[in-house]
Amino acid sequence: MSLDIVVCIKQVPDPEYFSRITIDPVKQTIRRDGIPTIINPLDKHALEEGLKIKEKFSGKVTAVTMGPPSAREVLEEALALGIDDAVLLCDRAFAGADTLATAYPLASGIKKLGNFDLILCGNETVDGATGQVGPQLAELLGIPHVTFVNEIEWTNERDLIVKSTLERGYMKLQVTLPVLLSVVKEINEPRLPTVLGIMEATEKEIKFFNAKDIDVREGTIGLAGSPTRVADVFEHKSKRKGEIIEGLPEDAVKRAVKRLRELKAI
Amino acid sequence: MDFSFTRQQEMLRNMVREFAEKDLASIALSLDERGEFPYDIIKKMAQLGLVGIVSPKEYGGTEMGHVARMIAIEEVSRIYPPLGFFFQAGHLGMYMFQMFGTDEQKKKYLIPLCKAEKVACTAVTEQSGGSDPSAMQTTAKLVGDEYIINGRKVFITLGGVADICCFVAKTDDKFNAFFVEKGTPGYVIGRKENHTGMRCIPVNELIFTDCKIPKSNLVGQEGRGLVAALTVIASIGRTGAAGIALGAGRGSYEAAVKFAKERELYGKPIINLQGLQFMLADMNVEIEAAKWLCYYAEWLLDQGKSTREISSEISRAKLFSCEVAIRTNIKAIQILGGYGTTAEYHVARRLKDSIELLSAGGTQEIMRVTIGRNIMA
Amino acid sequence: MKRGNPVWVWTEQRNNRLMEVGVELLGKGLELSERLNVKLETILIGNQTRKLADELMAYGADTVYMIEDPRLQTYQSDVYANVLADLIREHSPEILLIGATNIGMDLAPRVAAKVETGLTAHCVDLCIDEDNGIPYLAQVVPGWGGNLMVKIVCPEKRPQMATVRPGVLEKPARNEARKGEIIKVTPDIKDGDFKVKTIEMVEEKAVGIPIEEADTVVAGGWGLFSAGGFKPVEELAEVLGAAVGGTRPAVDKEWISDDQMIGQSGKTINPKLFISVGASGAMHFTTGFLRSKVIMAIDQNPDAPIFKVSDIGLVGDLREILPYLIEELKKVV
Repeated sequence: MSLDIVVCIKQVPDPEYFSRITIDPVKQTIRRDGIPTIINPLDKHALEEGLKIKEKFSGKVTAVTMGPPSAREVLEEALALGIDDAVLLCDRAFAGADTLATAYPLASGIKKLGNFDLILCGNETVDGATGQVGPQLAELLGIPHVTFVNEIEWTNERDLIVKSTLERGYMKLQVTLPVLLSVVKEINEPRLPTVLGIMEATEKEIKFFNAKDIDVREGTIGLAGSPTRVADVFEHKSKRKGEIIEGLPEDAVKRAVKRLRELKAI
Repeated sequence: MDFSFTRQQEMLRNMVREFAEKDLASIALSLDERGEFPYDIIKKMAQLGLVGIVSPKEYGGTEMGHVARMIAIEEVSRIYPPLGFFFQAGHLGMYMFQMFGTDEQKKKYLIPLCKAEKVACTAVTEQSGGSDPSAMQTTAKLVGDEYIINGRKVFITLGGVADICCFVAKTDDKFNAFFVEKGTPGYVIGRKENHTGMRCIPVNELIFTDCKIPKSNLVGQEGRGLVAALTVIASIGRTGAAGIALGAGRGSYEAAVKFAKERELYGKPIINLQGLQFMLADMNVEIEAAKWLCYYAEWLLDQGKSTREISSEISRAKLFSCEVAIRTNIKAIQILGGYGTTAEYHVARRLKDSIELLSAGGTQEIMRVTIGRNIMA
Repeated sequence: MKRGNPVWVWTEQRNNRLMEVGVELLGKGLELSERLNVKLETILIGNQTRKLADELMAYGADTVYMIEDPRLQTYQSDVYANVLADLIREHSPEILLIGATNIGMDLAPRVAAKVETGLTAHCVDLCIDEDNGIPYLAQVVPGWGGNLMVKIVCPEKRPQMATVRPGVLEKPARNEARKGEIIKVTPDIKDGDFKVKTIEMVEEKAVGIPIEEADTVVAGGWGLFSAGGFKPVEELAEVLGAAVGGTRPAVDKEWISDDQMIGQSGKTINPKLFISVGASGAMHFTTGFLRSKVIMAIDQNPDAPIFKVSDIGLVGDLREILPYLIEELKKVV
């Protein structure tokens, strides 16, 4: 028994530097240059789960990402963890995509790789945080999906019972492979790459696919293929006074509390 | 000239940094207070492949090289210098076997050492002075198929926990290197030093009283024992100390920068005060300079240079790095003001640890002697 | 006479209780549908949901498409998505709003992909704008940097889909006199259609006061790092009898749990008093508490955006300010 597992990962700006990200109000694009990038934290959990499942059932783990050439860094990190293959979907035509226009090339790229049994994703990214790509990808691949997965129980090699968290509580779901699972951080503790893993990672080849290599439907990719787009960027005007109370902490605090009482907040 | 690290080396740095920040930062204080040797952390580092980082793959190592070793030591020491000290001392014995041991010795000892199933120490220093090793008094008398060892080694890092001790002793007027296993009759682990820094790494006296070891415990060529040990101390111990100092300096420098950006006086973060900017700028320059001296020495080792060829380069790295670590830590303590010596900020602890480096892998003065000798030539 | 394609709201039920967010969306849906002069319709999937349908009409729905099936009592992801998509294809709604509960977030993207339309997640505002006289749905989400907001549109594909988090919109008034129409829909669902079968759903009680129900909330951000953690925030909350919340970095550092996170992808709350400590005020965070009655902020950067959305601000080191604040509050609270 051997499972073909695909893990979708994404290179995102490092949240510690989020305050440096700005929007160009004229071009209405997000300016991220010079901001350090990392692999999306939840994707590490997805990779870990893929590796654990491979250790349990034997098989192959392939990491797939769509991004600019620099996204190869997250694939190298995934290879260092011990995954077998890495694919970078890279093409100017993919840029500016919303979630649906991201799911299309991912789906085409994954189909191009051949058969798969399981797809794993992080439930959401730290930058977009929509959590939409996973379910949309599953729809385009014609397989069922489960989101918010924090536990997987294998009945046998094809049937699973999956636990999905609710706001307070959970659901248990029965599903059969092939399936797409979006995982949350409680599902496992990601391993660190070892020295050997790191040394072997840079020896492994990363597959590059551009738009022509995958059979993606015209008009479904990039900014042009995105059903949604940014129409405007504007400053939020607050009606509040923003009264800053000055002075040494001891005094300022006394006046702040007085103000709170005046406003009937306490 | 390409001054960049390879992608592999960058990934290694990220991995060790993440390991240090996740697994070391939170227990650093308690490790120090308890003063117990952290076996489980060492095992974890071995699992990650860090302990055998310069050892050959066929003997359980990962063979990533000396620059990689410096990266691992620096990143670990940035958070908790005593674990860098483990590498500095623990690698000595491993390198003795690696460079001078027989295939059988490597198979039997290097493999478990790489896995951290066993720990090795290296004993050269005696009462007669570590800086004057040829004045050592420990003797190894060949009687039949055995050597009988008598003598006392002092200030031996990891002595108290070592399963294997590589040491140098005098046979007639020649120096030989040997190893002895813990538990061998006549080999006793003596008192543990109560030293200021590197608290969880034991430093001990080792006493040999008519200790009998088989002839096959000779490491390397007969008569070449001291030369072998000094080579290992230069390439491993000296560079290790330099790496720890670099990490300890960098860690406190970064803490000082962060603090200065948050802490306010006169209505503004103190980093706006020119006086502090000057201090931080000096620290910045010194750490960068130390960094390049350290990595250059390691790079030369990776290029296959012998310790004799690059004795100045290695000595410079250790000499400068250790002084920078102390200067940087003192400045950082001052920048942190009252918080500088408190437990939460780790800076004073790094200073304590840095002090221990002054005589590790050779004293600062011996570094100057080495450089001076090369200048004179 | 209401002409044109309707505004739709998918109203979620769990254990035959309407989820609050669906009702909140009806309020917004009513506003949008009146502006467009079209019907407001909801889709209700479950079992024996007649009473819920009546409730929905009292909240403003002109039509309730009611799908009742014992197999659909609990959320069944695959089938719900197919039912909703089929209805969309049949009736071509102009707009579809879905509440961003965990279930809503599981359902909405799948449906959007099935009908190949655009979906904007976690909108903080929705309204009708016009482009050359043609109305469209303006979907507002927080932007990056300072106090920027971003307007997103779905110019061509229909329906224009958006999800909204619970608590962002105000719950509308209930009017028993409102009349509407219930249309029963019986889709052909075979047992084999349930590719994902929900076999158990367990809802747990909240531990402590959930932040969305508390009168006072104290929230902390990255600035607590200098204080070594959340203790100062917890102490302040204790004095005020407040619930504790925080930003995403605070969750990442494991100072608070996921359900204490405030912001666009967390919770939206509107307590009587909201105090922010050590958070600079990125829009993703501030949209989570903008409707609070009184907002006070404490941060060491006088230029931090958080002060622009606060009533009162204290600038300085929180490690100094908080002890004084706690002491002063102990005297009066």
